[in-house]
Amino acid sequence: MSAHLSRLLGGRLLFVTGKGGTGKTTVALALARAAASQGRRVCLAEVDNHRPSLTEYYDFEPGFEPVPVGPGLAVTNITWFEALQEWLGRFVPVQRVVRLILGNRMVRMFLDVTPGSREVVIFARLMQLLERFDLVVVDMPASGHAVSFFRVFDRATTLFPAGPVRRTMDEALARIAHRDTHLVLCALPEEMVINETIETWAALREVAPALSVPIVVLNRSMPPVMSPHERALLERLAAQLGHGGSDAAGRPALDLVRAGHWEAEREAATAVAQQRLAAETELSLLAAPLMGSSGAGTRVRRMEALVLRSIARAGVARPGGRR
Amino acid sequence: MSSAFLGELIRTHSVIVCVGSGGVGKTTTAAAVGLEAARRGRRVLVLTIDPARRLANALGLPAFGNEVRRIALPDAAPGGELYACMLDTQATFDDLVRRLAPDEATRQAIFGNRIYRVVSDNFAGSQEYMATERLYDEHRSGAYDLIVLDTPPVKNALDFIEAPGRLARFVDRQIVRWFLTPYDEKRVFGRVLVGTSGVVFRLLGMIFGREFLVELSGFFQAFRELMDGFHERHAAVTRLFAHPDTAFVVVAAPSEPSVDVASFFHDELRARRLPFAGFVLNQVHRCHGEALAAAPLLLEPATALAGDLPPHTAASLLARLEAAHGRLRSVVLEERPFLERVASMAGPTQPVVEVPLLDSPIRDMGGLRELALRLFPGSSSPHGERREPPEGLS
Repeated sequence: MSAHLSRLLGGRLLFVTGKGGTGKTTVALALARAAASQGRRVCLAEVDNHRPSLTEYYDFEPGFEPVPVGPGLAVTNITWFEALQEWLGRFVPVQRVVRLILGNRMVRMFLDVTPGSREVVIFARLMQLLERFDLVVVDMPASGHAVSFFRVFDRATTLFPAGPVRRTMDEALARIAHRDTHLVLCALPEEMVINETIETWAALREVAPALSVPIVVLNRSMPPVMSPHERALLERLAAQLGHGGSDAAGRPALDLVRAGHWEAEREAATAVAQQRLAAETELSLLAAPLMGSSGAGTRVRRMEALVLRSIARAGVARPGGRR
Repeated sequence: MSSAFLGELIRTHSVIVCVGSGGVGKTTTAAAVGLEAARRGRRVLVLTIDPARRLANALGLPAFGNEVRRIALPDAAPGGELYACMLDTQATFDDLVRRLAPDEATRQAIFGNRIYRVVSDNFAGSQEYMATERLYDEHRSGAYDLIVLDTPPVKNALDFIEAPGRLARFVDRQIVRWFLTPYDEKRVFGRVLVGTSGVVFRLLGMIFGREFLVELSGFFQAFRELMDGFHERHAAVTRLFAHPDTAFVVVAAPSEPSVDVASFFHDELRARRLPFAGFVLNQVHRCHGEALAAAPLLLEPATALAGDLPPHTAASLLARLEAAHGRLRSVVLEERPFLERVASMAGPTQPVVEVPLLDSPIRDMGGLRELALRLFPGSSSPHGERREPPEGLS
């Protein structure tokens, strides 16, 4: 795990995705901060998000131009229209003509329906950010959309035998296959989430076989703390209270037993999730506990600390220097 | 209407659309709503996008399939029937083309077009579009009293509502004409283009490649025949969404991203004058009482029950229970502001039904029934006795 994490933080391009609500933004931000703390210049990018998730962590809405938020860390929201404007500007050096083209309603419709036009310009922007930063961490949309994103480069290339779109797609494919590019999956110990995680992993292997997908972060994991004896006693207590105890005096006692069940259920779910991920994927697992209630900022700091601890544990942490 | 609003909805409405972010139990909510409506004697179809495999098994569905399946429901009131269908985007799109195409040649031209193959299963929004297409077809068939639609998880709430419009634009008359004119027949590049159109075309040709524009032109030529059909259907789907017999239910969980999405849907539905019916708040942790000391409450019974177990088991279990209770309480506290946000969005007139986190994940019909009990509080069985939802451990 620690070797994987060092490789991710020492790489150039890092995608983070997972089913909705699995903590993608927290993980992406924590990884970006961890890399920045090792001395790398990092940019955390959201992809064309109308409601940037990063707004929860910073008191402003990130825009197209990266904004520094701390030592070695900047954030950006790669909005499609700005990315498109910039990309067109490479071929059409006159700004007035770019505006003329983009102002044409038919062109907007054309771009709206042309497969890959969105993904191409976003990837072009990512590659441009790579020229300015050591590491670009991408907080991707939910996993289904992320798979579509990579599939476009796999499928749509046949539509464009030549031209700048094709060249950008080829560059993107090379970048995706590069050993400095990685993708991290986020999951929760819940059956439906694990199903989707496994499906996403398999789908990514199919649409982007060269992409390195080494790690899944299992958020809200509950390590096994209850011994089998304690579990047995809990069941006996539950059975007894269940018989007599829903009167007012028995209620707090029942509450304690319920809380015990709640955690036992989470322990069991975590164990099942770990077993399934191990059996059905080749992902290494980083188990992250419930990060608690004290706000988004605390969650990110705890996650970052966990990442740095996991790297240090095996003593292979390398200060990832500047390029 | 109050927290019992779903009971009223399934009696009076013909379409219920469940919207919300991913991972909030939208699919299971849609299935449980359909189940309860069928139990109460309606003919119900649940249209779902991507349920967990176990849920599909519980419903008697194979992992993939585009056709409607009947689900056995022994305790349904007379007339009550439950059907379910898992949408396959590509198959639905192909079906639609097959039906709208006037002849075999058009059909083959479309299916053989490379752009169609990429667009139909990969176009951003094609899943959403096909869900609404299927809804419209099934509704028009008149085979069901009620259709419950589980929408695809979208990051951006607008995607779902706007997808039909965006894909209808795909075959917009003007864009088709615009693309066909310069690329028609053999005149394609021989023709001298003047003005904005000429400049723009040369640039698009340069950037996307001539081959692509020719392929696209072929795609539009073939699709031209289907245009009227597409536009009619888009208008009809829009009317169906706005109809008073349709109800949108916003499903959320007590977490920041989910409540953000719910709030966005709530605003959008209102701005578009679509019939919003209420909120379902799933996965709410429950925990009564303040911090508890375990020993005074449980030491005596635990010691008595420990019997054959190693010494200290009772003491160590009690310590764990106390800590677990503390963590559960902190989760409950963490969720409170989100519950309050939903309550204030709803205001005094719009209903919210809160569903406590279930003891275990839903993996069969029993789990769905348990969820239905909580979605329809105080509901009565077909035989008239009142059912009380069991108290969850949450």
